[in-house]
Amino acid sequence: MKILVPCKRVPNPDLKLKVANGSVDLAGTTWQVNPFDEYAVEAALRLTEKGKGGERVGEVVVVSIGPKDTSAQLKQLLAMGANRAILVAGDDSALDSDLVARILRAVVAAEKPDLVITGKQAVDGDDNQVGQILAASLGWPQATFLASILLAADGKSATVTREVDAGVEERRVRLPAIMTVDLRIIGKKAVRNEALAPATAEWEDTQRLASLKGIMAAKKKELREITVESLGVAGGILVKTLRHEAPPARKAGVKVASVEELVAKLHNEAKVI
Amino acid sequence: MAPIELDVSPAQVERIEAVARFARERLSPGARERDARGEFSRALWDEAARFGLAGLPIPETWGGSGLDAVETMQVVETLGRTCEDGGLVFSLCAHMFASAVPIWRSKDAKQQGLYLADIAAGSLLCANGTTEPEAGSDIYAMKATARRVGDDYILDGTKCFITNAPVADLFLIYAKTDPSAGFLGISAFLLPRATAGLRVVPEHHKSGLRTSPWGTIYLEDCKVPVTARMGPEGAGAALFGESMIWERCCLFAYYVGAMERSLRRCIEYARDRKQFGKPIGKNQSIANRIVDMKIRLETCRLLLYRAGELHRQGRRCEDAVAMCKLWISECAVASGLDAIQIFGGTGVVTDAGVDALLRDAVPAQVFSGTSEMQRMIIARTLGVG
Ligand SMILES: Cc1cc2nc3c(=O)[nH]c(=O)nc-3n(C[C@H](O)[C@H](O)[C@H](O)COP(=O)(O)OP(=O)(O)OC[C@H]3O[C@@H](n4cnc5c(N)ncnc54)[C@H](O)[C@@H]3O)c2cc1C
Repeated sequence: MKILVPCKRVPNPDLKLKVANGSVDLAGTTWQVNPFDEYAVEAALRLTEKGKGGERVGEVVVVSIGPKDTSAQLKQLLAMGANRAILVAGDDSALDSDLVARILRAVVAAEKPDLVITGKQAVDGDDNQVGQILAASLGWPQATFLASILLAADGKSATVTREVDAGVEERRVRLPAIMTVDLRIIGKKAVRNEALAPATAEWEDTQRLASLKGIMAAKKKELREITVESLGVAGGILVKTLRHEAPPARKAGVKVASVEELVAKLHNEAKVI
Repeated sequence: MAPIELDVSPAQVERIEAVARFARERLSPGARERDARGEFSRALWDEAARFGLAGLPIPETWGGSGLDAVETMQVVETLGRTCEDGGLVFSLCAHMFASAVPIWRSKDAKQQGLYLADIAAGSLLCANGTTEPEAGSDIYAMKATARRVGDDYILDGTKCFITNAPVADLFLIYAKTDPSAGFLGISAFLLPRATAGLRVVPEHHKSGLRTSPWGTIYLEDCKVPVTARMGPEGAGAALFGESMIWERCCLFAYYVGAMERSLRRCIEYARDRKQFGKPIGKNQSIANRIVDMKIRLETCRLLLYRAGELHRQGRRCEDAVAMCKLWISECAVASGLDAIQIFGGTGVVTDAGVDALLRDAVPAQVFSGTSEMQRMIIARTLGVG
């Protein structure tokens, strides 16, 4: 089983966003792997684990499109346990979901994975499109917002669940397929490969982090840097960003002296009761 | 003047960032509650060990990370900045520096082969027994004996204040094989927990480092084969001395990081908290406390990495290490008091965690050789005392 996991780097979401002259100022930011993509790597790793011999069976390849220093995030994913990494040189501001999906389609053509797993969305732009566009352009089945993946013993299909408003939906999907994952995918028993792991198999209730040993092991792993041109993809984008604007500053609140005053204000001024 | 290495290489940054994230996300949650209960969690120990925190300086041959003193300090300092569970870090450090290091440095291939890989992996949790009820600072006056009888040794004695004792799987015990020979009469022994004649009684709760368990070890007619001895007879005190050099510099890196964490919190509070219509930090008497905390932090860091660099280069560093240990522990206490004062009433609310620096720092003036003993070492190198 070869699994390709597209991953994006995102600005640290805990930092205060600075907007200046119509664009987001990312000068002082620190970068990290998009959390949903980290969950996707965790899911992919689990699909190669807990077989009889204890050895991992299968290959997890992570791919990112970004500037050169995105290698730091890819190294982190190699330290987590991914086997190989591919960095496609690209500038965040010259990418949109469509171009990302077209680049990934070329990577899929070159790597020929059995499965592509990625995060349901990146927490910076929250576009939630890449997985879907990629599936459509490849003509592969897609299973999105997954909460669990059970890969069939023959490796030809998977039973997946997704949380929808009315409850949990269960579906079967043929491979090769595109899967996008939601946060429940890192639950103890959320992901399993029937060909390897017994029904009793359990993982930690969270995604693994890069350990010191993992970091040492990652130094020997391949991180290949390639260009968009080498994939034969033309660079145009469809989405034009006009400007970014910070939400208007909130007005200071008022203090009320009594419950009566509060109720009066809610009734007369806010008109909500 | 000795060199001080403060530049951090990209590979070291990668390690530091991984440690910081692991500590924040996996070790800190629930730390205050565990501290209040005085609770050591073996599950958390195992997780920290799996990450690699039980074998930092141990060579990769045995599954450790093979870090030198400076790199080890960087990791432990990072834990100080990001791990709120000071007791857990203390237990890990005691395991690494006072047990794993002497076993590694003993060059006793047999003992290393038996234990070192499991120790570096943290699956074998270690405690070292040196201190006795009547021999603390005057450690070479220890009374514990190991009498040779045929192919065995019979150990007798009491070891107190032993970190990790209630939970340890393996004990490194120092005892006298030749009571008339002083320093050269001390030998080192490795005893698995199940050894007959070895009994552990947990000690009372302490005021700081509360998640690190400790206890008293009673050795009563404790018969062990000669093969339990580590290194030759009489080599114990030198090994102990070497382990204390590692501990006095590397463990204390935790407090440098913890001082930085406390300083950041104090700065934030001094800017937010308003009294008399303005942030309390606008008062010079509060700002100056913060300035003093900052100066303590920076001088501590310089002394720390200077000691580490000397150690890494294999140069003489006993006095540099003594100054580092002494200054860091005393600064941590002083800054711990400043932090409480800046926070006012909140400073003494245990749940708020502001007082943790002080509570964890006070014992640091005692273990690994008291402040008085460090001053004695420094005085000696100056030709006085
Ligand atoms: C949290 C903690 C963890 C510990 N963990 C371990 C462990 O894992 N293993 C272990 O073996 N031990 C451990 N210890 C014990 C520690 O090493 C001793 O407490 C320390 O060496 C001091 O010994 P003592 O407590 O007997 O004090 P004493 O030596 O009795 O000292 C009492 C006071 O007298 C002073 N004093 C003594 N002699 C002189 C002198 N000549 N000149 C001036 N002043 C002097 C001391 O500095 C101190 O202020 C731990 C201690 C603590 C607090």
